[in-house]
Amino acid sequence: MRGLLVLTVAGGSVAHATLTPLVSVRGMTPDLPLIMVSLLALRRGSEFGCLAGFVTGLLQDAAGGGLIGVQGLTKAVIGFGIGVAGSRLRVSQPLVQVPGLVVLTIAEGLARFALLQIFRFPAPFGELMMYVVIPQALFNGFVGAAVVLSLAGVQALRARFEGEPS
Amino acid sequence: MKIQKFVLLVFLVGICLLLLTLQTRGYGSAAGDLFAIVTTPIQTGLAKASHATFGLWATYLDWKNVRAENRRLREEVQQLRVQALRVSDTDVENRRLRRLLTLQERLPLTTLSGEIIAREWGGWIRSLTVNRGRGDNIPRLSAVISPDGLVGRIVDVRPGASIVQVLTDPASTVGAHVLRTRTPGIVEGDPRGTLRFKFMARDGASIQSGDVLVTAGQGGLFPRGIPIGTVRVIDNRGAALFHYAELTPAVDFARIDEVLLVTGDTQRDVTAYFPKDG
Repeated sequence: MRGLLVLTVAGGSVAHATLTPLVSVRGMTPDLPLIMVSLLALRRGSEFGCLAGFVTGLLQDAAGGGLIGVQGLTKAVIGFGIGVAGSRLRVSQPLVQVPGLVVLTIAEGLARFALLQIFRFPAPFGELMMYVVIPQALFNGFVGAAVVLSLAGVQALRARFEGEPS
Repeated sequence: MKIQKFVLLVFLVGICLLLLTLQTRGYGSAAGDLFAIVTTPIQTGLAKASHATFGLWATYLDWKNVRAENRRLREEVQQLRVQALRVSDTDVENRRLRRLLTLQERLPLTTLSGEIIAREWGGWIRSLTVNRGRGDNIPRLSAVISPDGLVGRIVDVRPGASIVQVLTDPASTVGAHVLRTRTPGIVEGDPRGTLRFKFMARDGASIQSGDVLVTAGQGGLFPRGIPIGTVRVIDNRGAALFHYAELTPAVDFARIDEVLLVTGDTQRDVTAYFPKDG
């Protein structure tokens, strides 16, 4: 199980750069590793979320050809934060998770922007938000909703089969 | 436990910041190369897999499109064939009717056009049914002709339709003569569906294959000069009184669709209004 998780985290983040262009809509792509880190952190806690976010982010940076460490940092923080929030707040409802993903994507975008500013890689804030961060946040919300609903469906089916007397 | 978590977070954030600092100060290529060793083969494999999958999908879609297009084109070809057939059919009918109309206008006879609505083609009887009957004042035994020649005579007039005895009917006899030699005789139908010309041996010595036979116009039933057929074979019976010649009918009875019914005076010579070669 742990091996599968590692494979999912590592493979998924590398696959992101290769495969997400195939599901792009008008050049807009979802941040699948962010969705994956958020959902894993909710289920497995802050430590796992932090590690998963770190590995995912680093591999994404490396695969995408950007500054290595930017997404590693932001996703590690997000994974940690969601893990902590998941244990304290009621964030297990899809109605919370989906808008949460939108907000998280925007927060990650802001953090990335800030890091790039600090490390002297300036980017135009307004355009970045308008054409990259907000569209991606909305896309993440939709994809996240689909993933959350699919997972809930699978879980319900599993519970039904496990509950049936043999 | 909580402190451990925070230590982990701080440690990881620290690594990231260190990496970022190193990269901005020009030491980034080593870290990038290290990651590239791990990520590049995976990316290459995934790209190949995705290309293969999408290539396969594209091939499937192409195949499906080609199939659909093939079906559509087949249907189109079928429709066009039907359309072409209709056009050629209409063209043939048009030409046929035009010939009939031309003949009707030129002939110095009172005629009425009719359409064949049924055919009796067994060996016993050979007849056609025309859509002209008692209401059209068709007299019994009227001659029935086409632009190619004689078809037969009306033997029965019913309300709305008439029965035409065709020349090839075994009971049909028509007085005729050879156009070239004026040799008189009788054209009879026979059970095989062919025509034969019965003539006296002493009169018919000069009849040749290819000679055209026309109606004699002697009995007042058929106008004189309507083509009946051409001599195909002469059956020389030696010293017999009558000789026979097998004829090729001037009219293709199986294919004829429209005819003219001669309803008025039949005492005219109409040889000039038909083709001379039969």
